Amino acid sequence: MADLPEGAAWISFDGQELHRGGGEGRPLMVDARCLEGESVEGAYAHVCALADDDARLPYDQPEVQQVRRDALAWWIPLLGDSLVCLTTLALDEAGYAGAITVTRDPEQLGYDPFARIFPPTLVRTDLFCSVAPPPGPVLERYAGVAWPGGTFAGK
Amino acid sequence: MTLEPGGRFPDLDLPDHTGRARRLSELAGGDPVALVFSRGWWCPKEQRHLRELSSLQDEFEVAYTRIVVVSVDSPEVQSAFRAGLGARFVFLSDAERRWLPELGLLEQSDTLHRPYLPTTFSLLPDLTIHRRYDGNWYWGRPTMEDLRQDMRAISAQVREGF
Repeated sequence: MADLPEGAAWISFDGQELHRGGGEGRPLMVDARCLEGESVEGAYAHVCALADDDARLPYDQPEVQQVRRDALAWWIPLLGDSLVCLTTLALDEAGYAGAITVTRDPEQLGYDPFARIFPPTLVRTDLFCSVAPPPGPVLERYAGVAWPGGTFAGK
Repeated sequence: MTLEPGGRFPDLDLPDHTGRARRLSELAGGDPVALVFSRGWWCPKEQRHLRELSSLQDEFEVAYTRIVVVSVDSPEVQSAFRAGLGARFVFLSDAERRWLPELGLLEQSDTLHRPYLPTTFSLLPDLTIHRRYDGNWYWGRPTMEDLRQDMRAISAQVREGF
């Protein structure tokens, strides 16, 4: 597994379930804030990722840039109060493995723009907590942390 | 309250265009900010200026810099206006005019809408004011080049190894 940058945390995905830490399936880095607070029980995690190690793209690929623009422009507003948190999935400094959108109800998940890149799996989970959505327009990652995590504050 | 270069801008607490409670310091998130006070969706000058600002967001999004717009429109109206502009930055709603009198930015000539006086501030990440633009007269507003120069100057000041 890659070194964990400040602001990132490990989860793993076996194709059906999500696990805390990097040991039970494919290890993936998330925005650590999504795991740090009081968890929302029975939330719906829309995991647009695969357990296969070959399912990766560069973060800088235009499709990956554009899907983050879509998240800021309309996906987050569409989800409204249902949104618990959202994180992309990083493999290392450059590798994108997908994204997870966590909601309180599954109604709008069929519109998930991240499903354009990797196919979705719906997972019921208690892993995630509420995080204020990214304000935008920043798309770049902070020192390799999974977008929208990280900050240059204090550096 | 004096909002002049060198002073610290107040940490506004207002709902965003989705109705979610936000703080200006949270939105800055450690990055430089262009903070734009706008009359509202109805004003042709604002429509023109914000379309211009939306064209600049492609640069802001890759440069670790933020844009925040404040108006007296309700979150629902802001959300529709934002979608129409194709904007990906945050709008803050002061529909209750809670911050407007404190900031001293009431436009006196429009007694119908009682909006903000169009004013733009470029801010350091800690909300220190770098520059202020009074835009009641349209040409008083920052050009996109002015904002580029401000973001460059602030980044040079706060980014290690710039």
